[in-house]
Amino acid sequence: MAAETPSWAQQAGQVSRLRGRAFEAICLASTSLALVSVMVLLLFVANDAFRPFEAEPALTFAIPVLPGLELFVVPVVLPAYLLVFGATLGLPVALTALYYYRRDDPAGEVAYATLGLPIVSLLVSAGVLVMFIEVLTVSELFATELALLVAVGAIYGHARLRPRKAVERLAIIIVAPVVALAGLPPAMFNDIVNGIAGLAGVGPVLTTRLFSVRELVLASPFLPVRWVMLLATVTLPVVAIFAPILARRRESREAGLALGGLSMIVAALGLVAAPALGVGSDVWIVVASVTVPPLAVYVEGVVRRREGMAGLAFPLVLIGGALAGWLLVQQVGFGMPDPWLDWGFLTNAHSRFSAEKTGIYPPLVGSVMMLFAIVILIFPVGVGAAIYLEEYAPSQGLAGKFVTLIEINIGNLAGVPSVVYGLLGLALFIRFLSMPVGAIIVGALAVGLLILPIVIISAQEAIRAVPDSHREASYGMGATRWQTIRDVVLPQAFPGILTGTILALGRAIGETAPLLMIGMPAIVRRAPDGFFATGSAMPRQIFRWSKEFDPLYRHGVLAAGVVTLLVVLLIMNGTAIILRNKFQREETA
Amino acid sequence: MSRKDAGDVTRRKFLIGSGAAGAITLAGCTSTGDGNGNGNGNGNGNGNGNGNGNGNGNGDSGLSGEITIKGSSTVFPVSDAMAELFMEEHEGVNVTVDPTGSGGGFKNWFCPGDAEINGASRPIKDSETEQCSGNDVEPVEFQIAGDALTMAVNNDADWVDCMTPDELSQIWREDGATNWSEIRDEFPDQEIPLFGPAETSGTYDWFNENIVGEDYRHTARHQPTEDDETIVQGIRDNTNAMGYFGYAYYKSNSEQVKALEIDGGQGCTEPSLANAKDGSYPMARPLFIYVAKDALQREEVYEFMKFYLEKAETDIVQEIGYVPSSTDLRDENLAKLDEAAGK
Repeated sequence: MAAETPSWAQQAGQVSRLRGRAFEAICLASTSLALVSVMVLLLFVANDAFRPFEAEPALTFAIPVLPGLELFVVPVVLPAYLLVFGATLGLPVALTALYYYRRDDPAGEVAYATLGLPIVSLLVSAGVLVMFIEVLTVSELFATELALLVAVGAIYGHARLRPRKAVERLAIIIVAPVVALAGLPPAMFNDIVNGIAGLAGVGPVLTTRLFSVRELVLASPFLPVRWVMLLATVTLPVVAIFAPILARRRESREAGLALGGLSMIVAALGLVAAPALGVGSDVWIVVASVTVPPLAVYVEGVVRRREGMAGLAFPLVLIGGALAGWLLVQQVGFGMPDPWLDWGFLTNAHSRFSAEKTGIYPPLVGSVMMLFAIVILIFPVGVGAAIYLEEYAPSQGLAGKFVTLIEINIGNLAGVPSVVYGLLGLALFIRFLSMPVGAIIVGALAVGLLILPIVIISAQEAIRAVPDSHREASYGMGATRWQTIRDVVLPQAFPGILTGTILALGRAIGETAPLLMIGMPAIVRRAPDGFFATGSAMPRQIFRWSKEFDPLYRHGVLAAGVVTLLVVLLIMNGTAIILRNKFQREETA
Repeated sequence: MSRKDAGDVTRRKFLIGSGAAGAITLAGCTSTGDGNGNGNGNGNGNGNGNGNGNGNGNGDSGLSGEITIKGSSTVFPVSDAMAELFMEEHEGVNVTVDPTGSGGGFKNWFCPGDAEINGASRPIKDSETEQCSGNDVEPVEFQIAGDALTMAVNNDADWVDCMTPDELSQIWREDGATNWSEIRDEFPDQEIPLFGPAETSGTYDWFNENIVGEDYRHTARHQPTEDDETIVQGIRDNTNAMGYFGYAYYKSNSEQVKALEIDGGQGCTEPSLANAKDGSYPMARPLFIYVAKDALQREEVYEFMKFYLEKAETDIVQEIGYVPSSTDLRDENLAKLDEAAGK
């Protein structure tokens, strides 16, 4: 029966197949066009930024090409150092990667993570270091953390002693951090009141106030030594996050304590080892405390699961290869290229007199500080709005229509050109609220408003993706709406919200137009030392370099700046993807 | 069950932590806000420098604060060089430089009190002085350098090497010549694409007033831009094109375009610093910076201005591509500065 095919079926099948094939080919072509053009662009920029082919000595290879029947010889020039590194680094890495790809899939993932974790950790530690250098001193952070600890302790203690007084606890949750951090009333409040009183011709009105824990610690004559404070402020909190994870996974307190002790020892080792290596002991302590605990927890997990353990070899191959190549090149005396994007570029400011000495440090710090401010300002607002719109807002009747209108307009806001947000920032924050021109906080507010609709929409999508059955089940168990949101909806929606926010931040870091509108200067040579200081941002600086009339800036320096921006962006997006994958796996597991 | 509890606690901790982090930022704001409250008394009070630093290296001089320079893109290279050299000596001072065009700088930043210094490639206009005084900003003028405004054509435009100011006016006035052959009969019968600065630029104002002439208005037919690089590109890519900009931009792009000699009645003279200095080049013009008088009361602004005016007489300016100020002009400037600062 099945073998009997009517004559028309065959024909119809052929026709539809042709169309389908054509459609598939067109789709493939457009995909590859997009990918190839982006790739070519990136390669061009990277070539300008690193100049990998400009090093002596270079070897010329004659590559025979046969177009038609005539033999042409095309000379290809490759610097010698590139061949050395190709042998020690490129080939082994390629082979290991191929092995993971063909034979051991989980190992590939492990390799990716063990390589990525230290990179992300290094970025985080760079951020911490920049904060120490530019914004806070170690003793300020120490005082702040101690004050926070006191506040958290007060809240926790209250919850223990009087577990049923919810309203009282709300008051404590609000008041305790204020008292601990800023005093009562805060110094700023007194200053403002006294300033107004001074203008009105009255003497200072408020003369007494309760000093905050933070102020008391800062004023105390017995501050610990710098490295002890660093261990306490940086290493301890990281350990406090990761040691319990390990303890829970291994179900042993000792494992957690061991991890904590180990991390502290490695960090403290910096006092001895760092000077020998020629780096500051501060740098060592920060880098070690941010890198060691997460890596240790991850590696422990891999070893315990015994899955993809071969992947742990990947970083060793990479580092060993790079080291071997470098030693070999030094021994033989081959020249290395002189890339635009080097350590000096990351740590110097713009220089008018020398393109070689020019750097991106102040805009880099400005961008990081802007991102930090955006997260603090926008994340709670955006997520709060999304929760309201999805969980609380009325969906029927006149009010429901109104909510729909608001949702449509949030969608419209996401499409408003960024220049308009810049104008809004100029008019509202600088002209009306008299904030300083070109300050980090103004840039953060303008760009933050720009990505706010995107954050709201992506958070809404994430909350909507939580199945209604889960909510109903929660209600069925007698949970209130607040309990349902807190314990059922938000935990499930959190990875989605996080991913959406990180992607929106990726957009924020590249925005230029609003920064131009709020008067962010073209040239800033000092990294901002506070959120109200004038600063620059990476795209603003890149825009300026595109206009310098020395071509070295327009090509070399500009390319290095673009690569720096892209690397930060790619790492952020990579983190978003990893987080999403991780949470999704946990959900299905 | 225990797993759930653990998660619960961490989430609450997270919430408290993020709230506290917000409080830290607020606390950070307060400590920066009450730094040095030296508002320069211009009513809106947003000019108070908050670069109070927090103990990390105020350098050897002990000066600190923020200085904002806006204004002409022609003066920008000079101001930028001065800023860099000054900041090498004074670690605590942050001088930021931003090219906004002379008029744009006066109107949007300097006169509202948001910038201490404004560069200008033409003298300040009466309307701008009025706007400034409306905000209690009193501009003090200093001539810091000279420029040879350069009219450039494409390298392949072999028919023209020298023109008179009157011919330029015919091309650049409103409803003027649009074709090369309208200027001289031997010129080709081709349209002239024009590239020039935007209306916010002082270069535009100077050219409009002194070359186009008071009886005419500047054409709107040209491609206006704040960016001299765009002008050079436009001329380079178009055989018949013409455009003008400051000499410094020509100096670093002299292979890409051809500068016209100008005949002001005493024969053709090429744009050069020497010719601008001795006055034989008809399109030589002075460059200015303006400083708000009140801001001079701040030590760092005064010191920076003093540095600027002293260094404006040196080779730094020449290397950038402008005529440095003479020793007489420098001394005159310094005396004027001390008088304005009340020293």
